[in-house]
Amino acid sequence: MGKTTTEPYVIKDVAGKLGQGFLRNPLTAVLGIVILALGWIALSTMPREEDPQIAISGGGIMVVMPGATPLEIENIISKPLEKKLREVQGIQHVYSTSMDSVGIVNVMYYIGENREDSNLKLYDKIMQNMDMMPEGVHQPLVKPFDIDIDVPIITVALYQNESSRLSLVEFNEELRKLKHKINGIDNVAKTTLHGSHKEQFNIEVDVNKLSAYHLSMGQIVTALKQLAVNVPDIKGRTKGNKLVFFGVSNAITSIKDIEGVRVTSYRDSPVYLRDVAQVVQGIDKQNFQDVELIFRPNNDTSQALSKNISQVTLSVSKLAGTNAVFVAQDVMKLIEEQKPHFEKLGIEYRKTRDYGERANAAVDELMHHLVITIIIIAIMLVFALGWRESLIVTFSVPAILAITLFIAYITGQTMNRITLFAFLLSLGLLVDAAIIVIENIHRHLHSPGVEDKEMGALLVEATDEVGGPTNIATLAIIMTMVPMAFVGGMMGSFMKPIPYNVPVALFASLIVAYIFTPYLSLKLLKKPEHPENNDLEHNPYGICEICSGSHHTHEHHENTATKEEK
Amino acid sequence: MQRLESFIYWILKSEFRKKMVILLTIAAFFASLLMFPLGGVLARMLPGKSATTYSIYVDTPTGSSIQQTKKVTGCVSNILRDEEEILDISIFYAQGIPLDYAGLVKGSLMKRTENVAEISVNLTPTSAREEASFLMISRLRPVIQETCQNLIPGSVIKFVEQPSGPPTLAQIVVEVHGENIPRTRKLAVEVADILTNTKDLVDIDIMADDIYEKYQLIPNIEKIALAKLSIEQVNNILYLAFEGMVIATKNSENRSLQIPIFLGLSDKTKRLKDDSYNAIRSKLTSLTLMNQQGLMIPLTEVVKIIKVNSHPTIMHKDLKRMINVIAETDNVSQVYPLLEARATMEEKFSDKYIVSSAPISTYMFDLELEHKRTGEKFLLRWDGEMKVTLDTFRDLGAAFIAALVLIFFLLVIYYKSFALSAIILGGSFLSLIGVIIGHWVADLVTTQTFFLTATSLIGFIALMGISSRNSLLLIDYAMGLIKDQGMERKRAIALASATRAIPIFLTAVAIILGSALLAGDPIFGGLGVALISGTVAAVFVSLLFVPVLMDNTDAMMPDDFVKPPKEPSKFFASLGTMLDSIISKIKNFVLGYLEKKKEDKK
Repeated sequence: MGKTTTEPYVIKDVAGKLGQGFLRNPLTAVLGIVILALGWIALSTMPREEDPQIAISGGGIMVVMPGATPLEIENIISKPLEKKLREVQGIQHVYSTSMDSVGIVNVMYYIGENREDSNLKLYDKIMQNMDMMPEGVHQPLVKPFDIDIDVPIITVALYQNESSRLSLVEFNEELRKLKHKINGIDNVAKTTLHGSHKEQFNIEVDVNKLSAYHLSMGQIVTALKQLAVNVPDIKGRTKGNKLVFFGVSNAITSIKDIEGVRVTSYRDSPVYLRDVAQVVQGIDKQNFQDVELIFRPNNDTSQALSKNISQVTLSVSKLAGTNAVFVAQDVMKLIEEQKPHFEKLGIEYRKTRDYGERANAAVDELMHHLVITIIIIAIMLVFALGWRESLIVTFSVPAILAITLFIAYITGQTMNRITLFAFLLSLGLLVDAAIIVIENIHRHLHSPGVEDKEMGALLVEATDEVGGPTNIATLAIIMTMVPMAFVGGMMGSFMKPIPYNVPVALFASLIVAYIFTPYLSLKLLKKPEHPENNDLEHNPYGICEICSGSHHTHEHHENTATKEEK
Repeated sequence: MQRLESFIYWILKSEFRKKMVILLTIAAFFASLLMFPLGGVLARMLPGKSATTYSIYVDTPTGSSIQQTKKVTGCVSNILRDEEEILDISIFYAQGIPLDYAGLVKGSLMKRTENVAEISVNLTPTSAREEASFLMISRLRPVIQETCQNLIPGSVIKFVEQPSGPPTLAQIVVEVHGENIPRTRKLAVEVADILTNTKDLVDIDIMADDIYEKYQLIPNIEKIALAKLSIEQVNNILYLAFEGMVIATKNSENRSLQIPIFLGLSDKTKRLKDDSYNAIRSKLTSLTLMNQQGLMIPLTEVVKIIKVNSHPTIMHKDLKRMINVIAETDNVSQVYPLLEARATMEEKFSDKYIVSSAPISTYMFDLELEHKRTGEKFLLRWDGEMKVTLDTFRDLGAAFIAALVLIFFLLVIYYKSFALSAIILGGSFLSLIGVIIGHWVADLVTTQTFFLTATSLIGFIALMGISSRNSLLLIDYAMGLIKDQGMERKRAIALASATRAIPIFLTAVAIILGSALLAGDPIFGGLGVALISGTVAAVFVSLLFVPVLMDNTDAMMPDDFVKPPKEPSKFFASLGTMLDSIISKIKNFVLGYLEKKKEDKK
């Protein structure tokens, strides 16, 4: 169809202006390369995580009041605290738990509330009302939630093998050293050892002996407390004004010292601690937070699972906005460096969680999907329009994604499942603009009267012609996405990457379609040289399938393209 | 394309055929909407995804010892041991597993009592495994719960999957609000019973402490004063003896932590023979206190031992007392079991309470109970994933309406015609037919239930844009033909449809191919299916339905076209008179009201 008039075409849309401006501009190619390069930089350095970050803010206040019953706690602590916290703006729910001796009040802010502000508000409210705290309570503990810091991205189970000769205390000491080293890695936020034990001198008193010697537990406490004191050095001065230092060492340095503590006298003979109690250099036996591991050696599913081994799990979390993949890799590298040292000691390890790897896998899988989809669309277009046209459209996809990725990168977003979901969602929409433009160019190239027109003018006209409706249509799709940004709650926060990225991608698709499609068409497509020749077999040049004829109908053209492919 | 052109022209020529197209489209639209009440398409916020990890929470009754908890976890890990797809299991006693998204809202961080344990299970990679993790859980759940929960009566074993969307406390949460603690507890138990008997609901748990028996030592103040002791001394001595206490610390140069000196009775001597009164009494007799004069006084002399019930924890939400009852669904949408359980509750509670429902809101499933005899009020509030789902669907619905309005205004600005804009919008709305039918077909084809999810909804919103683009290109081109080339309307529309069919097909195929890979994804599958089937519907709608509507409107005609003054003016005239009469009525009413007020004042 198109216009058959030869009068110069008047550009009426921004599409034609963009096409015109960049059509013969040498910088267009540079711009294309720069866009692709920026996209590549964004792709390789953008922080990756599996799930998008949800701004959940909240916190807990714990108040201890020894000996109070839950009902008392409810009346004296929970209710007044809850009431005060309701005054804070932005709090969605206040929960409280009143237990024996302890009251805990938790607050949840509305999703999306600024975390720092929320934490400050919480502290502020508590500190303002400190004077209202009832008698007999301990200092309240205010603990804000911190998801980034609280959710570890990597956990490693460490355990001793049978040949290990380390004592439990020494093993734990090794782990603490490792933990210290990991804390030194960039962007590592918090490291925790789950199931670790501390060294402890345990004094196990025999209750029967206690009564035999007429002793009370209190006496033992007093006797020990008097000895286990650390004192700073004492300065003395000589007559010549020189300093002389005296140091009093802690009276308890070993088990022997504890055992030798004189508790009381019984019928004039001293009673030592060892007479009534057994002193062991052991671990914190009152801590029952153990961790066990069952694993399949070498991850070989044909082997049976091992028996329960006691283990310590080291968990590492990262700072907000940093790349989970890199942090996890750095942590694992450091642990692997320790491997020879660990082998000597009989310590083995096993990675039990790696969000970095999972984020990477999720991102890679979706990238893989993207590439396959682009290839499928490209192949489809080869049949429908011809390979040169298909090539032009195929170029536009990476260019659009590159622009979108780069914008996402500089606006501080991370690459996660939902961001990629946004890309996949927009993929079907992105090629539209380019397809519409290229289809119109194609149609113009094959319409009667094409010989009289200059190639550049024809491309601009073809681009400009569909510009209006394409702009409106793309705007329409953008408008469907924008309201999603205002969806509240957890899910709204979770989906945020969609309204943030799809409109950008769509906008980019317009720009790319208007700038690069005519430009590449000029470079790649040619006007059919023999528009009257309808038969492929008689094409004397056989340069390209588009040149082989101008058809009104596209079925016909598809046939020629198919033949070429074969 | 010639054939498509003549086909459309053939339809446009006859009023009957045009009406048929419209009728068929409307019939298809309502038929697809009927799929919701008929259960052809089930809705859920987000489906489960096959993961490489899941966790198991073990809760023995409040006041159980770590050894009792270990007995249950041992049973669980023994059953897990036979699973071939498990790579490793970590068991965390008296604490949560290193925090994950699920644990974040399920209170993992707070766990530190002896009666809890969490087990984290890692599986082989999803690609190498045939059984999805959620199917594995539904297979193991009954086996493990049947075998292990009864080891320590009252234990609860829960399976926790990584949420595919934002985490919630549980899929189904019933908050039982009520001021009377014992009655609320009883009601919570009844609610839990109903949930247990509802099909497809599993892992039911009442989030309240169990009441257990304990001994209380009541200090005899007079005797304590006489013996020149203090109550603090009594407390300390008991704590020191049975729990133990760090009484001093020692610094060390080759250890990274201080070494505490911990004093307590030896494990052998502090153990009670059994949990009877006599056993406690005889153990306490051997503990003595020294008073200020250095005299030894047996503990039992100054205290009285009585047996009491423990005080359960009191929970508040937004200043009101409540107890949470939670449940998970076994791979189904939570909507349907919820409605079933709610119906049962309404029926069962109606003999003791006056049951009333809440008004329409995202708390619309709430039940208010008023005790017939005492008049006490209780509230059953549904929270958890259901609430999030309702909130999300409400918000997405609002977003959708906002999108509709925005597009409409955009189109009106572009075309300066309400009729054309309405055609485009109406056309794009019809892609819903495809979305629903697509989900129905996907559900028939796949072995598991294929849910209409939040991602399907997002897909549908995006489709609105896509199909309005189709109609836009069509209308734009047809208008060009009519205005610039003076082509006859029906001809122009037919030709435009045929010409624009190519880019419409191409972009549709691009979207379909682009979404094909998505359709296989557990989470984004809904979006994939919505886009694919919706696009197919959109193509039909834009090539058949929209041309018919285009032919029926005069907005297509060039500006100098003189409208045949029949239909539209009649419609608008009647609309105008109707509006006029309504306005005058309102005016009269307001004026009359004001008059009356004036008179009243006088």
